[in-house]
Amino acid sequence: MAMRVTMFKNHMAQVLYSVFAIMTCLGLGKLCALLAPILPASLYGLIIFTLTLHFRLFNADQIKASVVWSIKHMAVCFVPAGVGIINHFELLKQFGLTIIAITFATTFLLLTLVALCYQQCSQEKN
Amino acid sequence: MTGFISHHLFSSILAVGGTIILFQLFARLQQRLRLIWLQPMLMTILALIAIMLWQGISFEQYFSNAWLLNALLEPAVVALGFPLYQHLGTIIKQWKAILLVLCIGAFTAIISSFLLTIAIIADHSIAVALALKSVTTPIALAIAGQLDGNTAITAFAIILAGIFGAIIGPPWLKFLNVNSAKVQGLAIGAASHAIGTATVSNISYQHAAYSSLALIVSAVITALTSPFIINFLSSLLLAV
Repeated sequence: MAMRVTMFKNHMAQVLYSVFAIMTCLGLGKLCALLAPILPASLYGLIIFTLTLHFRLFNADQIKASVVWSIKHMAVCFVPAGVGIINHFELLKQFGLTIIAITFATTFLLLTLVALCYQQCSQEKN
Repeated sequence: MTGFISHHLFSSILAVGGTIILFQLFARLQQRLRLIWLQPMLMTILALIAIMLWQGISFEQYFSNAWLLNALLEPAVVALGFPLYQHLGTIIKQWKAILLVLCIGAFTAIISSFLLTIAIIADHSIAVALALKSVTTPIALAIAGQLDGNTAITAFAIILAGIFGAIIGPPWLKFLNVNSAKVQGLAIGAASHAIGTATVSNISYQHAAYSSLALIVSAVITALTSPFIINFLSSLLLAV
């Protein structure tokens, strides 16, 4: 029982440490976005998080478990924005199929082009 | 007042909880049936839209109650820095090739979508909207506003491009005999931004790292170059 309590405490400490690390990087990202509005705050935060881990300002071992969990479940956070399609039904009626077809074709093209070009580059290097 | 707060709390729990439960149900169903089109994000969105139409719930009502999930988007994107950190060494070694490929990708995405839309629909505001659909929402919306693009269509096309890439990306790339996690990650991140990245991050950490990298680099390239490319194409079309 005592061991379980200690494990739980350790786990909670790791979660809090991860939340602190991510929120600090996001805060700094917001500051960057304010000073140089080229990228959104979350992308600045992503870059800062990578750098702080690389330069060992945060301990990657302490963060790993919580981050693996959050990345595994992050897709659900996109659902509310996706439901926003409901507000564009009028646009869909007017141009829907054409927009879907163009988006589909160009996404297909981009996937194929980037994959084949990068595969070619990697093979040449090897 | 207390009644209002408790009502709002109940609606929030219902909206957030309902979204998570539906998502988990579809995720389990896909794990069991292994059908590509049963993508949990897409199915949850469609199921919620059906429920909202049936119950007469507006998007604003749903969104104001599910704000917590949306608020978690920013920290979730920051968390993608972890897989990127793990693969930083190999990425730095290949930075020239990666930058070149992503530049080719971003330019192709902007030019092909813009010209194709002008050729078919002949509407400048929709052409701008579709030209920006492969990058992350905040950047695309800012540039669309700046270039007189239709922001509603931009938002819609971004979600579409994200879901398309997330669903067809992995099987299509396997079909092309592209089996490396690095290449798959980079291609899906470039074509389907954060939605694609969130989906392929479940496959492997290497997918997550390269997809996050493509997401950032493509966003930077598009933010810096798309206003010039789109203005140049517009003036070229006017001259013709």
